Amino acid sequence: MRLTCPFCGSRGLEEFTYRGDASVRRPAADASEQAWVDYVYLRDNPCGRHQELWYHGAGCRSWLVVTRDTRTHEIFDVRNARDVAVAERQTEAGKGENS
Amino acid sequence: MADQLLPVLPVKYGSLRVGGMTFEQSPLAETVSLGAFSGDGRDALVNRIHEAFGVMLPEHPRAVHTMDGRCAFLWNGPSQWLAIAEDGAGLLSRLREVCEDVCALTSQSDSRAILKLSGPDSREAASRLVPIDLHPRAFGKDHVASTLAGHIPVIMWQTDDVPTYLFLVFRSLAASLFHDFSVVLNGFSSSEMDTCV
Ligand SMILES: [Zn+2]
Repeated sequence: MRLTCPFCGSRGLEEFTYRGDASVRRPAADASEQAWVDYVYLRDNPCGRHQELWYHGAGCRSWLVVTRDTRTHEIFDVRNARDVAVAERQTEAGKGENS
Repeated sequence: MADQLLPVLPVKYGSLRVGGMTFEQSPLAETVSLGAFSGDGRDALVNRIHEAFGVMLPEHPRAVHTMDGRCAFLWNGPSQWLAIAEDGAGLLSRLREVCEDVCALTSQSDSRAILKLSGPDSREAASRLVPIDLHPRAFGKDHVASTLAGHIPVIMWQTDDVPTYLFLVFRSLAASLFHDFSVVLNGFSSSEMDTCV
Protein backbone atom coordinates (compact mmCIF):
# COMPACT_ATOMS: atom_id res chain seq x y z
CA MET A 1 0.00 0.00 0.00
CA ARG A 2 1.21 3.52 -0.82
CA LEU A 3 -0.03 6.86 0.47
CA THR A 4 0.35 10.15 -1.37
CA CYS A 5 1.45 12.61 1.28
CA PRO A 6 0.23 16.12 0.37
CA PHE A 7 3.76 17.39 1.07
CA CYS A 8 6.15 14.56 0.13
CA GLY A 9 4.31 12.79 -2.70
CA SER A 10 3.78 9.04 -3.13
CA ARG A 11 5.54 7.03 -0.42
CA GLY A 12 5.55 3.43 0.76
CA LEU A 13 3.78 2.21 3.86
CA GLU A 14 7.05 1.76 5.77
CA GLU A 15 7.31 5.54 6.19
CA PHE A 16 3.93 5.85 7.95
CA THR A 17 2.36 4.82 11.23
CA TYR A 18 -1.37 4.13 11.63
CA ARG A 19 -2.79 6.23 14.46
CA GLY A 20 -6.44 5.19 14.60
CA ASP A 21 -9.91 6.41 13.72
CA ALA A 22 -9.93 10.02 12.50
CA SER A 23 -13.66 10.54 12.99
CA VAL A 24 -13.83 10.40 16.81
CA ARG A 25 -14.14 13.78 18.52
CA ARG A 26 -13.35 14.68 22.10
CA PRO A 27 -16.60 15.14 24.09
CA ALA A 28 -17.31 18.28 26.14
CA ALA A 29 -15.72 18.24 29.59
CA ASP A 30 -19.15 17.79 31.24
CA ALA A 31 -20.33 15.06 28.83
CA SER A 32 -21.73 11.82 30.22
CA GLU A 33 -19.48 9.02 31.42
CA GLN A 34 -20.78 6.88 28.55
CA ALA A 35 -19.69 9.51 26.01
CA TRP A 36 -16.18 9.50 27.51
CA VAL A 37 -15.98 5.71 27.57
CA ASP A 38 -17.00 5.72 23.90
CA TYR A 39 -14.36 8.30 23.07
CA VAL A 40 -11.52 6.68 24.97
CA TYR A 41 -12.15 2.96 24.43
CA LEU A 42 -14.77 2.07 21.85
CA ARG A 43 -13.97 1.93 18.16
CA ASP A 44 -15.97 0.75 15.18
CA ASN A 45 -14.44 -1.81 12.89
CA PRO A 46 -15.97 -0.73 9.59
CA CYS A 47 -16.01 -2.82 6.44
CA GLY A 48 -15.45 -0.32 3.65
CA ARG A 49 -14.69 3.38 3.70
CA HIS A 50 -12.90 4.56 6.82
CA GLN A 51 -11.37 7.87 7.85
CA GLU A 52 -8.14 7.27 9.68
CA LEU A 53 -5.10 9.09 11.02
CA TRP A 54 -1.65 8.31 9.68
CA TYR A 55 1.62 9.85 10.81
CA HIS A 56 4.35 10.44 8.23
CA GLY A 57 7.12 9.79 10.73
CA ALA A 58 9.90 8.95 8.27
CA GLY A 59 8.99 11.86 6.02
CA CYS A 60 7.68 15.33 6.82
CA ARG A 61 6.31 14.33 10.27
CA SER A 62 2.80 15.48 9.35
CA TRP A 63 -0.41 13.94 10.66
CA LEU A 64 -2.69 13.00 7.80
CA VAL A 65 -6.38 12.12 7.49
CA VAL A 66 -6.64 9.26 5.03
CA THR A 67 -9.92 7.95 3.58
CA ARG A 68 -9.35 4.29 2.81
CA ASP A 69 -11.42 1.25 1.92
CA THR A 70 -10.59 -1.30 4.59
CA ARG A 71 -11.40 -4.20 2.24
CA THR A 72 -9.46 -3.17 -0.86
CA HIS A 73 -6.95 -0.65 0.58
CA GLU A 74 -8.14 1.78 -2.09
CA ILE A 75 -7.18 5.30 -1.02
CA PHE A 76 -9.79 7.97 -1.80
CA ASP A 77 -8.27 11.00 -0.13
CA VAL A 78 -5.23 12.10 1.88
CA ARG A 79 -5.37 15.47 3.64
CA ASN A 80 -3.25 17.33 6.13
CA ALA A 81 -4.91 16.70 9.53
CA ARG A 82 -4.23 20.28 10.55
CA ASP A 83 -6.21 21.60 7.56
CA VAL A 84 -9.07 19.23 8.39
CA ALA A 85 -9.15 20.44 12.01
CA VAL A 86 -8.97 24.13 11.02
CA ALA A 87 -11.79 23.71 8.45
CA GLU A 88 -13.92 21.94 11.06
CA ARG A 89 -13.35 24.69 13.61
CA GLN A 90 -14.35 27.33 11.05
CA THR A 91 -17.57 25.47 10.16
CA GLU A 92 -18.44 25.19 13.85
CA ALA A 93 -17.74 28.89 14.41
CA GLY A 94 -19.94 29.67 11.36
CA LYS A 95 -22.79 27.56 12.80
CA GLY A 96 -22.50 29.35 16.13
CA GLU A 97 -22.91 32.74 14.47
CA ASN A 98 -25.98 31.69 12.50
CA SER A 99 -27.91 30.21 15.40
CA MET B 1 40.43 26.63 32.27
CA ALA B 2 37.82 24.44 30.61
CA ASP B 3 39.10 21.67 28.42
CA GLN B 4 38.74 22.35 24.75
CA LEU B 5 36.96 19.39 23.16
CA LEU B 6 37.68 18.80 19.53
CA PRO B 7 34.84 17.43 17.42
CA VAL B 8 35.17 13.71 16.73
CA LEU B 9 34.09 12.70 13.25
CA PRO B 10 31.11 10.34 13.39
CA VAL B 11 32.54 8.07 10.69
CA LYS B 12 36.10 6.88 11.19
CA TYR B 13 36.71 5.87 7.57
CA GLY B 14 37.89 8.19 4.84
CA SER B 15 36.39 7.74 1.43
CA LEU B 16 35.22 4.72 -0.46
CA ARG B 17 35.81 4.54 -4.22
CA VAL B 18 34.07 1.91 -6.32
CA GLY B 19 33.53 1.90 -10.09
CA GLY B 20 33.92 5.65 -10.50
CA MET B 21 31.72 6.45 -7.52
CA THR B 22 32.86 8.09 -4.32
CA PHE B 23 31.20 7.80 -0.95
CA GLU B 24 32.60 9.94 1.83
CA GLN B 25 31.84 12.12 4.77
CA SER B 26 31.34 15.79 3.94
CA PRO B 27 33.13 18.41 6.02
CA LEU B 28 31.29 19.41 9.18
CA ALA B 29 28.68 22.08 8.50
CA GLU B 30 26.61 24.46 10.55
CA THR B 31 22.98 23.46 10.47
CA VAL B 32 20.05 25.30 12.02
CA SER B 33 16.40 24.24 11.96
CA LEU B 34 13.75 26.92 11.48
CA GLY B 35 10.18 26.25 12.60
CA ALA B 36 7.79 29.13 11.93
CA PHE B 37 5.55 30.13 14.83
CA SER B 38 1.83 29.65 14.21
CA GLY B 39 -0.33 32.58 13.13
CA ASP B 40 1.52 34.90 10.79
CA GLY B 41 4.95 33.56 11.81
CA ARG B 42 5.34 31.74 8.53
CA ASP B 43 4.76 34.77 6.29
CA ALA B 44 6.94 36.92 8.52
CA LEU B 45 9.74 34.35 8.41
CA VAL B 46 9.59 34.06 4.62
CA ASN B 47 9.82 37.87 4.34
CA ARG B 48 12.67 38.20 6.82
CA ILE B 49 14.75 35.50 5.12
CA HIS B 50 14.03 37.07 1.75
CA GLU B 51 15.21 40.47 2.97
CA ALA B 52 18.33 39.20 4.75
CA PHE B 53 19.45 36.34 2.48
CA GLY B 54 17.78 37.19 -0.85
CA VAL B 55 16.05 33.80 -1.24
CA MET B 56 12.46 32.62 -0.99
CA LEU B 57 12.09 29.73 1.44
CA PRO B 58 10.85 26.80 -0.68
CA GLU B 59 7.19 25.71 -0.37
CA HIS B 60 8.01 22.23 -1.66
CA PRO B 61 10.77 19.69 -0.93
CA ARG B 62 13.54 21.73 -2.56
CA ALA B 63 16.73 23.55 -1.63
CA VAL B 64 17.56 27.18 -2.45
CA HIS B 65 20.99 28.82 -2.36
CA THR B 66 21.97 32.36 -1.46
CA MET B 67 23.62 34.37 -4.26
CA ASP B 68 27.08 34.04 -2.71
CA GLY B 69 26.58 30.27 -2.53
CA ARG B 70 27.56 30.17 1.14
CA CYS B 71 24.22 29.22 2.63
CA ALA B 72 21.37 26.93 1.58
CA PHE B 73 17.83 26.53 2.88
CA LEU B 74 16.16 23.13 2.65
CA TRP B 75 12.44 22.44 2.97
CA ASN B 76 12.05 20.18 5.99
CA GLY B 77 8.31 19.75 6.50
CA PRO B 78 5.39 22.19 6.43
CA SER B 79 6.56 25.59 7.78
CA GLN B 80 9.94 24.05 8.65
CA TRP B 81 13.33 24.51 7.02
CA LEU B 82 16.97 23.66 7.57
CA ALA B 83 19.65 26.29 6.98
CA ILE B 84 23.11 24.95 6.14
CA ALA B 85 26.39 26.83 5.91
CA GLU B 86 30.04 25.90 6.14
CA ASP B 87 31.57 25.38 9.56
CA GLY B 88 32.50 28.67 11.25
CA ALA B 89 29.98 30.78 9.30
CA GLY B 90 28.18 31.95 12.45
CA LEU B 91 24.85 30.91 10.97
CA LEU B 92 22.90 30.61 14.22
CA SER B 93 23.79 34.09 15.47
CA ARG B 94 23.03 35.57 12.06
CA LEU B 95 19.61 33.89 12.02
CA ARG B 96 18.93 35.01 15.59
CA GLU B 97 19.38 38.61 14.50
CA VAL B 98 17.17 38.14 11.47
CA CYS B 99 14.21 36.08 12.63
CA GLU B 100 14.44 34.96 16.25
CA ASP B 101 11.02 36.47 17.12
CA VAL B 102 9.04 34.73 14.37
CA CYS B 103 10.38 31.17 14.44
CA ALA B 104 12.02 28.56 16.62
CA LEU B 105 15.75 28.34 15.86
CA THR B 106 17.65 25.26 16.96
CA SER B 107 21.23 24.41 16.19
CA GLN B 108 21.44 20.99 14.53
CA SER B 109 25.17 21.15 13.76
CA ASP B 110 25.99 18.44 16.29
CA SER B 111 22.92 16.35 15.51
CA ARG B 112 23.61 15.38 11.95
CA ALA B 113 26.48 14.26 9.78
CA ILE B 114 26.50 14.65 6.02
CA LEU B 115 27.54 11.74 3.81
CA LYS B 116 28.12 12.30 0.12
CA LEU B 117 27.62 9.88 -2.75
CA SER B 118 28.84 11.00 -6.15
CA GLY B 119 29.62 9.46 -9.54
CA PRO B 120 27.94 8.15 -12.67
CA ASP B 121 26.15 5.15 -11.12
CA SER B 122 25.10 6.97 -7.96
CA ARG B 123 21.44 6.99 -8.89
CA GLU B 124 21.36 3.24 -9.22
CA ALA B 125 23.41 2.77 -6.05
CA ALA B 126 21.20 5.09 -4.01
CA SER B 127 18.10 3.35 -5.34
CA ARG B 128 19.22 0.17 -3.63
CA LEU B 129 18.71 1.80 -0.23
CA VAL B 130 16.19 4.59 -0.74
CA PRO B 131 12.54 3.75 -1.57
CA ILE B 132 11.69 6.94 -3.49
CA ASP B 133 11.74 7.51 -7.25
CA LEU B 134 15.14 8.99 -8.19
CA HIS B 135 14.54 9.09 -11.93
CA PRO B 136 15.49 12.56 -13.24
CA ARG B 137 11.87 13.30 -14.17
CA ALA B 138 10.93 12.85 -10.48
CA PHE B 139 14.04 13.89 -8.56
CA GLY B 140 16.63 16.35 -9.87
CA LYS B 141 19.11 18.98 -8.80
CA ASP B 142 18.16 20.65 -5.51
CA HIS B 143 15.32 18.27 -4.87
CA VAL B 144 15.11 17.24 -1.22
CA ALA B 145 13.37 14.29 0.42
CA SER B 146 12.96 13.12 3.98
CA THR B 147 12.83 9.35 3.76
CA LEU B 148 14.50 6.10 4.82
CA ALA B 149 17.81 4.69 3.59
CA GLY B 150 17.34 1.08 4.57
CA HIS B 151 15.94 1.60 8.07
CA ILE B 152 17.83 4.82 8.70
CA PRO B 153 16.00 8.16 8.52
CA VAL B 154 17.76 10.56 6.15
CA ILE B 155 17.26 13.88 4.50
CA MET B 156 18.41 13.32 0.95
CA TRP B 157 19.50 16.22 -1.24
CA GLN B 158 20.64 16.04 -4.85
CA THR B 159 23.20 18.79 -5.39
CA ASP B 160 24.17 18.31 -9.05
CA ASP B 161 23.45 16.26 -12.16
CA VAL B 162 26.49 13.92 -11.89
CA PRO B 163 24.50 12.99 -9.80
CA THR B 164 25.74 13.85 -6.33
CA TYR B 165 23.55 13.12 -3.32
CA LEU B 166 24.02 14.37 0.20
CA PHE B 167 22.54 12.35 3.04
CA LEU B 168 21.91 14.25 6.24
CA VAL B 169 21.85 11.54 8.88
CA PHE B 170 21.78 11.55 12.66
CA ARG B 171 25.39 11.42 13.88
CA SER B 172 24.89 8.23 15.85
CA LEU B 173 23.59 6.44 12.73
CA ALA B 174 26.19 7.80 10.32
CA ALA B 175 28.58 4.85 10.73
CA SER B 176 25.71 2.39 10.09
CA LEU B 177 24.68 4.26 6.96
CA PHE B 178 28.31 4.32 5.81
CA HIS B 179 28.45 0.56 6.29
CA ASP B 180 25.17 0.05 4.39
CA PHE B 181 26.52 2.05 1.47
CA SER B 182 29.79 0.15 1.51
CA VAL B 183 27.76 -3.05 1.07
CA VAL B 184 25.72 -1.45 -1.73
CA LEU B 185 28.84 -0.24 -3.53
CA ASN B 186 30.53 -3.62 -3.23
CA GLY B 187 27.71 -4.95 -5.40
CA PHE B 188 29.03 -2.85 -8.26
CA SER B 189 31.86 -3.98 -10.49
CA SER B 190 35.12 -3.35 -8.71
CA SER B 191 38.46 -2.54 -10.21
CA GLU B 192 42.07 -2.24 -9.03
CA MET B 193 41.46 1.48 -8.72
CA ASP B 194 38.99 0.89 -5.88
CA THR B 195 40.12 1.95 -2.45
CA CYS B 196 38.86 2.21 1.08
CA VAL B 197 41.00 4.41 3.28
ZN1 LIG C 1 5.03 13.75 4.20
